[in-house]
Amino acid sequence: MRKGHLGIFVLFLYVLTTFVYAEPPEVRFFNWSDYLPEELLERFTAETGIRVRYSTYDSNEAMYAKIKLLQGKGYDLAMPSTYYVDKMRKEGLLHPLDKAKLPGFKNLDPRRLDQPFDPGNVYSIPYLWGTTGIAVNVHRIDPAKVQAWADLWRPEFRRGLLLPNDMREVFFVGLRTLGYSGNSTDPRHLREAYEKLRQLMPNVRLFNSDSPQMLYVTGEVDAGMIWNGNAYRAHQEDPNLRYVYPEEGCLLWMDNLVIPKGAEHLANAHKLIDFLLRPEIGKLIAEKLAYASPNAEAVKLIDPKLRNDPVIYPPDEWLRNGEYTIDVGAAITLYAEYWERLKAGE
Amino acid sequence: MRNLKLFKLGSIGLLPLWLGLFTLLPTLLVAVVSFLRRDETGLIALAPTFDNYARLLDPIYLKVFGHSLWMAGVATLLSLAAAYPFAYLLSRVRPAWRPVLLTLVVVPFWTNSLVRIYAIRSLLAAKGAMNDVLLALGLIHEPVRLLYTDTAVTLGLVYVLLPFMILPIYSSFEKLDQKLIEAASDLGADRLDTFWHVIVPLTAPGIAAGSLLVFLPALGMFYVTDVLGGARDLLIGNFLKDQFLDARDWPFGAAASLIIIALLFLLLELYVLSRRWLNPGERLDA
Amino acid sequence: MRSLKTFYLWLVYSFLYLPMAMLAAYSFNASKYGARWEGPTFEWYRDLANDSALLEATLNSLAVAFVAATLSTLVGTLGAIGLWHYRFPGQTFLQGLLFVTLMSPDIVMGVSLLVLFMALRVRLGFWSLLLAHVSFCLPFVTVTVLSRLNDFDRRLIEAAQDLGAGEGRAVWHVVLPLALPAIAAGWLLSFTLSLDDVVVSFFVTGPTFEVLPLRIYSMVRLGVKPEVNALATLLFIVSLGLVSVSQRLLRKEQP
Repeated sequence: MRKGHLGIFVLFLYVLTTFVYAEPPEVRFFNWSDYLPEELLERFTAETGIRVRYSTYDSNEAMYAKIKLLQGKGYDLAMPSTYYVDKMRKEGLLHPLDKAKLPGFKNLDPRRLDQPFDPGNVYSIPYLWGTTGIAVNVHRIDPAKVQAWADLWRPEFRRGLLLPNDMREVFFVGLRTLGYSGNSTDPRHLREAYEKLRQLMPNVRLFNSDSPQMLYVTGEVDAGMIWNGNAYRAHQEDPNLRYVYPEEGCLLWMDNLVIPKGAEHLANAHKLIDFLLRPEIGKLIAEKLAYASPNAEAVKLIDPKLRNDPVIYPPDEWLRNGEYTIDVGAAITLYAEYWERLKAGE
Repeated sequence: MRNLKLFKLGSIGLLPLWLGLFTLLPTLLVAVVSFLRRDETGLIALAPTFDNYARLLDPIYLKVFGHSLWMAGVATLLSLAAAYPFAYLLSRVRPAWRPVLLTLVVVPFWTNSLVRIYAIRSLLAAKGAMNDVLLALGLIHEPVRLLYTDTAVTLGLVYVLLPFMILPIYSSFEKLDQKLIEAASDLGADRLDTFWHVIVPLTAPGIAAGSLLVFLPALGMFYVTDVLGGARDLLIGNFLKDQFLDARDWPFGAAASLIIIALLFLLLELYVLSRRWLNPGERLDA
Repeated sequence: MRSLKTFYLWLVYSFLYLPMAMLAAYSFNASKYGARWEGPTFEWYRDLANDSALLEATLNSLAVAFVAATLSTLVGTLGAIGLWHYRFPGQTFLQGLLFVTLMSPDIVMGVSLLVLFMALRVRLGFWSLLLAHVSFCLPFVTVTVLSRLNDFDRRLIEAAQDLGAGEGRAVWHVVLPLALPAIAAGWLLSFTLSLDDVVVSFFVTGPTFEVLPLRIYSMVRLGVKPEVNALATLLFIVSLGLVSVSQRLLRKEQP
């Protein structure tokens, strides 16, 4: 090869790679799939000039594994659920937040702050909260038959159920049906819950956490577990889809913005969090995704029809036997083992 | 003169260097990792163990592997059944048309396979085209659920991998000497005899190559089961993805990966042997 | 009998093409989910053009595919010439290694490269992705070029040398032009392999560098947007074009 050609080729490679690498200021956001109206990101970029690199995951476990794999040097912002905030905080994977850079913090509802999973909100900012209950297509199934988690075991639902691809949520159902805490760490309870869930498997059509409401709307499944906001949106598309707060008690969850330790764009991450904390932005998110907002100022702006819907903002007595998922410590490996067995059809 | 030496060095050295660094070395690393212990915080602990292989013998993992091999096997057989007559007919089409028809086989192979899997999903959906047609024909009255089943996954695998089966078989049909077939019938062989004793052995290299090209990738295509599969249709690919990217059990995943590599070598060895046996004296170019 | 044969050919082609044709039809359908026709629209194509993340992923993919194809063609062609022209120790082993790499499932390659990059502390992103893509394209190029070279008479080079050309010159001026169609075809094949790869990229890329197939993967898993139909149609047209070019390249040199 002639030297000249080689030189031009190297130059070309160089130009190409600098084109790929010369970048405006950015922030890398790792979020649940279908969990943010993406036009908001464009608005943020237009306002601040900071580009958002947005990628998504479908389970806390996948998010956690990816963050550990990249040793923090990948994402500037992530969205663990409560119990993963707790776990990641204890393992030193999170960067403490600088409240001085988050003037919007004051908008948050004090009832959603200072929870045991992150006392004083040192590491996390609540984003949305909700419940996991039962979805049922009344066109295909008599809703009177589906009032409790235990009803999912009815033989007529064979191959008709959808469950989330989330081991803690699925085991919650197994444990609560047996009368145990959804956060049990007792190996005996877990064993029983696994046996119970095994009997549920013939009814399970698939596990999906990417877009459950689509699968209900397009008629692929008749009933199953769903998050309330997803159920609300499914109901908008097909009025036959209803959300049920199960008799044994629903699962309560909250997802939270955190900054992984080692994040490279700390200032930008704070800016994006504060942007998401604005009342009018919080309102847009809550209306579009139909989950409950922990942002008191945003809730005031939300369309009253949504704000007064008990599916999304349930009265306290509906939540009385509900339970938040908390970190189960070392028992997580036992959960994972049974989960693997369950999915392998053993 | 120096240029020539450089050229010689480059042409002999660069390829082995690259393959050594990015094929051999990683495989060796995987082999090493498979004999280590997992570590909850730091991924891998430097403690030697055979546990990972012992764990693979647990019936649940044997079941996952067995199921995966079964799915890939069925997909291979179905592709073969569809591709063999097709390749034969294609090789008998008027020569002027052949290039165009052949190009039409290659196009799907060059099209993004996820997009093609998505097409299958749209076809089989409860509110998809297949159900619409069946409903319109009055064959069914309620949409049938075709998605999220073993059948859907198998169909998806066949759809994506069929060109890999057609092309090698076609090329062995193209090389097939028509005179041999005529000779066989001159010698009094009936059609079936000719088929089994002349045509099949002569096209066997194509069959073997095609089967390898379908079977091996079919083991790993996790996105096919992700998009079309139900609650239990795991392929080895999904298992590996889970171990490496969800459960963070690298040593266990590495052990499974090494089993696949062993399987790969076994199949390739069989392939090479069968070619030698069918075609003695032939030199095998990679 | 004859019509039965034609029918069978048609059947397989319909199997290969109908699902794609259906997506193409959906891509102009105003209806959001079903197959039912609700009038023509270009809305989904407009959405596609406005999806900046998708455009970025496409540019990233094109850049990686271009550089990976070029690098693997360079290394692969050199390697093929080396294998064809010289005799050196370990040659059989090298050919065997090429063959094994060619056949090894993507998933195995993805996993192994991830382990390698972690061990070498290579940050997952553009560079890791590029190295991985070159690695799986390389055997394809080498084999394509090598099989073309094997069709040549080795005496060509000797003849050129007899006429006074140095060895290097003989290779440069005689062998390369003859092998050019195969080299170009190898480049195109690498380019498409790189653009199409899901499995390896899934393991070795990082958040700084998203590529088209992975973007499509997350779109497909969500499965909400008819945009995917429009994207599928476009990709299909692109591959139709690329294949035509490559087929022409490979055919020209056949007698």
